[in-house]
Amino acid sequence: MKKDTWQIGGHELHSRFFIGTGLFPNPYVQKEAIRASGAEVLTFAIRRVNLASTEDDSILQHVEGEAFRYLPNTSGASTADEAVRIARLARASGLSDWIKVEISANERTLLPDPLETLKATEILVKEGFTVLPYTSDDPVLCKRLEEAGAAAVMPGAAPIGTGLGILNPYHIGLIVEEAKVPIIVDAGLGSASDVVQAMELGVAGVLMNTPVAKAKDPVGMARAMKLAIEAGRLSYLSGRIAKKRYASASSGHEQFLLK
Amino acid sequence: MELIVNGQKQELEARTIEEVVIHFGLEGRPVVVEADGTVLTKEQWASAEVRPMMRIELVHFVGGG
Repeated sequence: MKKDTWQIGGHELHSRFFIGTGLFPNPYVQKEAIRASGAEVLTFAIRRVNLASTEDDSILQHVEGEAFRYLPNTSGASTADEAVRIARLARASGLSDWIKVEISANERTLLPDPLETLKATEILVKEGFTVLPYTSDDPVLCKRLEEAGAAAVMPGAAPIGTGLGILNPYHIGLIVEEAKVPIIVDAGLGSASDVVQAMELGVAGVLMNTPVAKAKDPVGMARAMKLAIEAGRLSYLSGRIAKKRYASASSGHEQFLLK
Repeated sequence: MELIVNGQKQELEARTIEEVVIHFGLEGRPVVVEADGTVLTKEQWASAEVRPMMRIELVHFVGGG
């Protein structure tokens, strides 16, 4: 198979795994899991520095010195204006002009607010960001985000952290068919089989955090997810057989020994 | 001078944003500063003067998905 690379905002990527950096049991396991995942893109959140603690709790100290691309998110925002504010802060770090727009409207489901997400995407694209909106799995909305200038569109499989897998594979498939930018399934995946399904639907990549970080063995799960991405991608490219209602033998009937 | 830093009232001796950053022991750390809603680059910290009740946000990257 020839080199199967892809691009976001003109940047070439080899891995199809975006990995989150929250919830790991400790920095050592996190670092090993990131290594096992083969991911080139790491996601982060922006929060206030804890002024009461002199300890450096910035995540960057644990991943320094490695050639990652950073994808900060706007989690905590519930409006487009808040997301834009967080995005500007993220860019001022000088580490990245990529931004994952994440605007949650409901605390229980953390489902994205589609209207605010579209509005924030429009503003941030105009400001020169490489914008990757996390959104609901609605094909029309995903198209609208692409038209607004999103560099990739990231529909959720299921609500964040649920591990429910792809609740609407029909929609994810349609979104991929219609898209001219990479589609990344973000949130809700639970295990390697969910990842294979996503890749077989033709998505360009997957973004995961909880299913790796909260697995019994995060390093083992990171590797499992990496292999699932490869298996699912190769299966997609190789073209699966059509499903049939009845059996068809692998050897012909004509020369049975016993007839 | 009284400032609002990360949502909390703080009484501290500082004339510039750079001095605020130093006050909290954050020099050399990957922090980003916003003052009254405007993001300030590191180059601007030394010349950005603080004024009473200025709302200052000191933020950084933490783990997230």
